[in-house]
Amino acid sequence: MSTDEQQLMLRTIFERGAESASQALSKWLGAEVRLTVSAVDRVELAAAAEVLGPPETLVAACAMGLSGPLGGRMILVFEDRSGLALIDLLLNQPIGTTTGWGDLERSAAMETTNIVGCAYLNALAAHLPTAGSDSAELAPTPPVFFHEFAGSLLEFALMDQALELDEVLLVRSAFSASRADLKLDWTLLVVPDRPTLQALAASLSS
Amino acid sequence: MTIAPDAAATVSVAIGQWAVAGSPSKIRTLLGSCVGVVLYDRGARVGGLAHVVLPRSRGAVDHPGKYADTAIPALIADLDRALRGKSAGRLVAKLAGGASMFTLGPSANPTMNIGRSNQEAVEQILADLRIPIIARDLGGETGRHVTLDTATGLVVVRTPGADEKEL
Repeated sequence: MSTDEQQLMLRTIFERGAESASQALSKWLGAEVRLTVSAVDRVELAAAAEVLGPPETLVAACAMGLSGPLGGRMILVFEDRSGLALIDLLLNQPIGTTTGWGDLERSAAMETTNIVGCAYLNALAAHLPTAGSDSAELAPTPPVFFHEFAGSLLEFALMDQALELDEVLLVRSAFSASRADLKLDWTLLVVPDRPTLQALAASLSS
Repeated sequence: MTIAPDAAATVSVAIGQWAVAGSPSKIRTLLGSCVGVVLYDRGARVGGLAHVVLPRSRGAVDHPGKYADTAIPALIADLDRALRGKSAGRLVAKLAGGASMFTLGPSANPTMNIGRSNQEAVEQILADLRIPIIARDLGGETGRHVTLDTATGLVVVRTPGADEKEL
C-alpha cells in the first residue's frame, strides 16, 4: 500500500465498515454511538508504539484475528476509564460503578468487540476487492482480552508487517456518543497483514 | 543510535533503535515480542540497550537496529567508542522480552513465533561474541517495560498487573 490514492480508496472502504459498526454498536449499547475512520496511517516502525498515545499507558484491548480477503488483526482498545464506563452502560448502572477488569467485565468487552468487529467486517466483505485473495470468506476468530502497555500491544500487532516493511500501515477509528456523560476514548485498529496489503495494492491499482 | 546527552538523563529507545549512556542515567524501552539486549560494563558504568525486532537482516542495511545480527554489533561499536576501545572482555548481557501475545488468527502458526526466534538469535550472537548473559526475563505472553540504570547495572522489568522484577 504505497500511494496516497490507494490510501484514500482504502479509507472509503473502511468508512463503510465503520457505518455498519456504528449501527450495531448503538443497538447493543442502547445509545447513539458513531464510529468514524480517523486515519489510514503509514507509520515508521520506530514511531508506531506511540500511535495510541504514551506507550507506557495501560490499556484494555480485545483482539480478533482475521483471515480471508482481509488478513491481519482487528483490535478494540479502551482507555481504562472509558472501557469500564462501557460495562456500566451495559449493566445499566451509574457510570463510575465498575472499577476493575474482572471476568464479567472482560466478557462484556469481548462481546462488544465481537459485535463491532463482525458488523465492520460484514460491511468490508461487501466492498473489499477480492483479487489476490485465496479464500473468499472474511472470517474473524473469537476476541481475546488483554490488559497491556499500549506500546507493547502495537508492537505485537504490527510484527507481521515488520517482517518485511520498515513503514507499517494501520487503520484507526474513533468513537463518539450522543450522550454527554458517555466519553468513549476507544480506538478500533485494523492492522492488515502483508499478503493483504499486497493484494489490496494490486487490486486498487488495477 | 542515541547517546544520553547529559548526566541523569533518561533515554527512551524506540522499536528497532539502540542507545548508549554513561552514569548516572537510565535507558528504557517497551517490549512485546522484540528482545531488549542490555550490555553493561560494570567497571566503567557504561551501558547500552538495543530493541531488536527480528532475528536476521538477510543483507538489509538500512535499519541496523531492527535485526539481531546488525543491532548487537552496532551497539557494541558504540559502547566501544564510549569506552575508548576497551569494551572487549568487559561487557555482560541481560535480556528481556520475546513474548508471544497473539495466539489467534493466521499468525498463530507455532513455527512463526517471532519472540522465540528473536531470543534464539540474540543468545547465539552473544555466545559467538563470548559475552556472558547474566540475567534473562524472556518469553511469556505480556509486554515488558525495561529500564537500565547505568549507575548500578540493574535492569528493572515491569509487566502489566505484576510486581517489578530486578535483573
